[in-house]
Amino acid sequence: MITTPHHSALDERDRGGPAQSLLSVNGLIKHFPVKSSGFFGRGGVVRAVDGVSFDIRKGETLGVVGESGCGKSTTARLLMHLIKPDQGEIIFDGEMVGIDLPLAEYRRQVQMVFQDSYASLNPRLTIEDSITFGPRIHGMAETAARAKAHDLLARVGLDPSRFAGRYPHELSGGQRQRVNIARALALDPRLLILDEAVSALDKSVEAQVLNLLQDLKADFGLTYIFISHDLNVVRFMVDRVMVMYLGTIAELGDGEAVFAAPSHPYTAALLASMPKMDPSDRTMEAPLTGDPPNPINPPSGCRFHPRCKLAEPACQTIVPPLTASASGTSQAACLVLVPQSGHSHAARVAMPEAHA
Amino acid sequence: MSVLQLSTASVLQPIARSPGYWSGVVRRVSRDPVAMTALLVIVSLILMAVFASSIAPSDPFKSSMLRRLKPIGTPGFPLGADELGRDMLSRLIYGARLSLLMGLTPVPIAFVIGSALGITAGYTGGLTNTLIMRTIDVFYAFPSVLLAVALSGALGAGLTNALVSITLVFIPPIARVAESVTTQVRSLDYIDAARASGAHAWTIIRVHVLGNVLGPIFVYATGLVSVSMILASGLSFLGLGVRPPEPEWGLMLNTLRTAIYNQPLVAALPGAMIFITSIAFNVLADGLRSAMDVKS
Repeated sequence: MITTPHHSALDERDRGGPAQSLLSVNGLIKHFPVKSSGFFGRGGVVRAVDGVSFDIRKGETLGVVGESGCGKSTTARLLMHLIKPDQGEIIFDGEMVGIDLPLAEYRRQVQMVFQDSYASLNPRLTIEDSITFGPRIHGMAETAARAKAHDLLARVGLDPSRFAGRYPHELSGGQRQRVNIARALALDPRLLILDEAVSALDKSVEAQVLNLLQDLKADFGLTYIFISHDLNVVRFMVDRVMVMYLGTIAELGDGEAVFAAPSHPYTAALLASMPKMDPSDRTMEAPLTGDPPNPINPPSGCRFHPRCKLAEPACQTIVPPLTASASGTSQAACLVLVPQSGHSHAARVAMPEAHA
Repeated sequence: MSVLQLSTASVLQPIARSPGYWSGVVRRVSRDPVAMTALLVIVSLILMAVFASSIAPSDPFKSSMLRRLKPIGTPGFPLGADELGRDMLSRLIYGARLSLLMGLTPVPIAFVIGSALGITAGYTGGLTNTLIMRTIDVFYAFPSVLLAVALSGALGAGLTNALVSITLVFIPPIARVAESVTTQVRSLDYIDAARASGAHAWTIIRVHVLGNVLGPIFVYATGLVSVSMILASGLSFLGLGVRPPEPEWGLMLNTLRTAIYNQPLVAALPGAMIFITSIAFNVLADGLRSAMDVKS
């Protein structure tokens, strides 16, 4: 007996078939008002997520990368409806969330694993009670919920007879994150959002949890959104990758293709900043200088232009749309890719080589 | 990773259970000699109040002009006699009834109301929070004694009104503590995880918030018992609480104050009782606080 595996092809909840995106996000916007510091000062807004649109295919892993403050986690929380988007629509398997698909039903199908394994478990509840909470509120009988919790604990590599009755503080970070994964799976989700889920773990434990995630994905037919700042981990995990910069998408495309030949100068710089395994291959020039600009008043035009090696006057005024790269494996928001954009490189589409 | 191992786990196995948090708190408090002494004092005071009629050597209301202000150690009056010649020991024993009642009643009531307000404000946030907390701040702006006196004065003297006014005085500080703890807990990921599982706010408060906030609020409230006793005594002292000739420590302190130069020791006895009781409650609250404050 298996804990109800949902191979997306066989999943009775599947509506549009394998060709339809599991999740489509259109024009997602979230601006946070900032309290003014002075008495008469005007408060600004942080443009945390500023017009993000993407699709996630059934059964894939979409990686989301970017510097801290680029809107990765805000996007995750918006997708989870933990915070309300200002604008934008979320379509889950062909149904508009909040209109065709009630929020409660959507939340059963989309679950999230947080970065802080300790803060995401209630310290007063046993592991078993934490996992059964979700199924119980959706009406599962207690014995069935406990049996399910024990199954899931075994599935994530924790012996239920040893761990079910324990409290979070008695577990190590890796064990707690396994519990968090089991908790997220307890509602039989189809999409799992992993928000820096392995970032706080040490390397050996991280590798084990990553392998576990790969196994679970195959067994339960899951789709992942994998948010991380660790490019090596992202490269290992993902099918496609989305690079974010200051609340917007810089590049979106096939994972291997983006890592091998980035189309956006920001992606190229980000990849060049990865530490190399081979000392003879190391980059001598600084890939990116400075911090990301203040998201309260983001730069005009292309938001990356103050730090971009290829910046030209046109970049300061024109907001680049997501445009297909020459190879067609990715889309990037860069004027270089837009013919007649006014950028001198726009004719030739070659990008500086990333030493990936 | 094989899926086959699941077949054994689907039958509920007996599991190793760790002792819960509260049993740990009880264990740690019971190993704290200071807190246990305080608890012993409180239990003895309560027993004294309950069995006052069988313990007290004489009638606390029987006065005698001839025995006014006898010193401590007078035969038949082990703790002396008050300004109307009533036996001090008996009056102190009987006084425990009203004094403990006034100290202990307002706190649980204020605990329930204050926690409800504070947790609602803290969990909901936004406009609800502002409305509740700013209203509470208006009450909080008054010194507690002044507020208690003003409320009692407005409601009129008497035991019930004194209790009501003390309760009202305690709601704002308890609500504040509740609000700040709840706001902290509210921001933790496990609340977000619970919201993400589709639970209603009330379920989340019941399962995930209460267990994590009631402890600190409870400790704070325990510390208020002594304040409540002192406030109640103060109200009685001012003639706003218990009426003479009822024995109550605060009132006794008031009526004996004219005797402070003649029989200072006798006049100080009700004060000593108030002191011992409030210290005992404070020490117990401290013991609870340290027993609960373990970084796991």
